[in-house]
Amino acid sequence: MDCLEVVRQLWDYLDSELTDEAMARIHRHLAQCRQCYPQFDFERTFLDAVAATRREHPAPNLIRRKVLAKLRKAGLDL
Amino acid sequence: MQTTQQSQPHRVDGKRFELEALPWLDDVYRFALSMTRDEADADDIVQETFLRAYRSWHTFEPGSECRKWLFTICRNVFLRVRERERKRVDCGGDDAQLETLAAVRVSVAAIGDGAEDLFSRLDLAPALERAIGELPEVFRSAVVLVDVEGMAYNEAASILGVPVGTIRSRLFRGRRLLQEALIEYARDAGLVVTSGVPCTGVS
Repeated sequence: MDCLEVVRQLWDYLDSELTDEAMARIHRHLAQCRQCYPQFDFERTFLDAVAATRREHPAPNLIRRKVLAKLRKAGLDL
Repeated sequence: MQTTQQSQPHRVDGKRFELEALPWLDDVYRFALSMTRDEADADDIVQETFLRAYRSWHTFEPGSECRKWLFTICRNVFLRVRERERKRVDCGGDDAQLETLAAVRVSVAAIGDGAEDLFSRLDLAPALERAIGELPEVFRSAVVLVDVEGMAYNEAASILGVPVGTIRSRLFRGRRLLQEALIEYARDAGLVVTSGVPCTGVS
């Protein structure tokens, strides 16, 4: 497996969207390749940063009350 | 003559709805907010989503993932609301691999500029959130569902009603746009030094 093949599938690999066999092949390549590993590390850190933007945005109480009022009006017995 | 059964609304098991659907209110709100970027619009969408969910509760398959079901409804409500002021957005090509390679060029350039640890900097978080908010909606939805909400490609595809290949290309394009925006921000802020146009080794 060459470097180009690996970088083409880097995001699929990071998203665990490849077959077990392809995952293993890329994993082995990354463990040995000095050129590809920094790319992998860079993309992984990027994805971690994006995932970390997930904030608990609790729905404001007002919205919660509006939803419940609407559901009650529609017949839901809470 | 209509039968009684046809004219009667479906009976809703309120307890089940309360236990299975309502706990996802925060998640649905977060998803609605990610699409609208406006709290008042998200408010309307969330209310409509739960009303529709309640009315079509009989179509929910017990044991399936309720959050995904609610996100699908939420997305449909959002699309209907947006239809009025719909703008045509260039969704780009559908070649996900080209997007991956383009992103690699971005990362090679960033690493060449000494910005390999750029994304681990905590002070970049507000810029990243802003950049996500500024992505065109089609790319933002893919990024939010997969990268922020942690869904698989096929789950995101099902919610957005597009093929898995389309999700991949939108996701990858969205990621690349985010990286470009962040690197530009980092350069403007002096967080990385531009060393000219680096040779990427990938064409």
